[in-house]
Amino acid sequence: MRMPRYAVTAFALAVLSISARRAESQAPQQPALNPATDAAIRPIVDRARAANLPVELLIAKAREGEVRRAPVERIESAVRQLAERIATAHDALTPNPTDREVEAAADALKAGVPRETLRAMRAAGKEASLAVPIGVLTQLVLRGVPVERASVQVVNLLQRGALSGHFIALDDRVRADVLAGKRPDESLDLRLKGIFPNLPQQATADAAGLQTTAGNKKPR
Amino acid sequence: MPEERDELIGHIVDELKALPVVPADATARVLARVDAARRAGPSTRSDDDDVIFFPAATDEMQAQSPLARPMPAAAGTRRRFVISVPAAIGYALAATLAGFLIRGALPKQEATVALLGDSVVRAGATVRPVADAAANREAQEAPVAVQFVLDAARASSVALVGDFNSWDGAATPLARDSASGSWSAVVKVAPGRHVYAFLVDGKTWTLDPRAPKAKDSDYGTEQSVIIVGLK
Repeated sequence: MRMPRYAVTAFALAVLSISARRAESQAPQQPALNPATDAAIRPIVDRARAANLPVELLIAKAREGEVRRAPVERIESAVRQLAERIATAHDALTPNPTDREVEAAADALKAGVPRETLRAMRAAGKEASLAVPIGVLTQLVLRGVPVERASVQVVNLLQRGALSGHFIALDDRVRADVLAGKRPDESLDLRLKGIFPNLPQQATADAAGLQTTAGNKKPR
Repeated sequence: MPEERDELIGHIVDELKALPVVPADATARVLARVDAARRAGPSTRSDDDDVIFFPAATDEMQAQSPLARPMPAAAGTRRRFVISVPAAIGYALAATLAGFLIRGALPKQEATVALLGDSVVRAGATVRPVADAAANREAQEAPVAVQFVLDAARASSVALVGDFNSWDGAATPLARDSASGSWSAVVKVAPGRHVYAFLVDGKTWTLDPRAPKAKDSDYGTEQSVIIVGLK
């Protein structure tokens, strides 16, 4: 059977096109981990992959430890704890959280934000990405705002339709207030008064019942 | 069985009649052929059985179609519309290639937060299927360009390491501004809270004096914090 010339040409062009597209879609190559680190975290990464969790975060955490010249045992411990937080965060943000949301939620859990808050944020935020709101909540808690109060107010903002710009503005203002010597919780209450009037929705009941649950849970 | 066959033949004839380009004598030719087959008996097999043909193909259609390759027609036989195997493979590959090329020529969709109307992201909007909601969230997480600056006039190299570049010390080198002595880089970062630091001369962990700091309990050192998003 003789293949026509145009068929061969078309086949070659198709192969070239597919190869070019595949090369284009590949992520940039990350440097390999130290063999000892790699061996230590490999079982953790494999378990996370089997559970369909984003393993890139675990590898990045290991690389962070190497950049900071942490011992392998410490890196392994940090990666294991992160894997547990990722699993919890993924469960709390169901259904279909993005990797950025899971990463942000894992950081929030580390800062002491309870998983019930994350669930309430998902319910309140509906289709909005929670990466920024969760990040701002984490930062508020790390600045010293009590986690229960920060949780309720952030969920309230989401229920009222706050966008990422509102959350970033709130964080900026609280930061400036704290630097100027104001108490973080007072600053939060004060600055919310400047944001709420600009939101499209009216206040809702009790931030999806968060006030009755958030304070009762032990922070992770 | 004969009834079923007759019903099937009737169905085929109806289909042929419904076609707008069926030649006027096509129906009669099919019926004549069926009759001939019946007379010849069930064991008789026509050579045409292995050939895909289109009895409705008119001269006009064959002239217009670049795929048409009429077989040499013997006197009194119908012309057939046959594609050889290599040609079929060739055309299939060409069609695949055309698909790739057309897809590549289309502009890539670069979603930004600004493209999402308030009604999409605000609470109280119509609840969409989960897959749509996830796609919306992904679109809102389109990276934003952020400039990082460090004043380090005596440094010979400065690199940025953070969770947005997987802490890769080689991924984001900063460029030195000769006039000011400052080092800077513009990096696309996904919205959210990020932690980072500068590596000066490849080894010195340096915090960003313009950014808030946070203690890291995993490794015990401080890091700079930035919250990225459209204001």
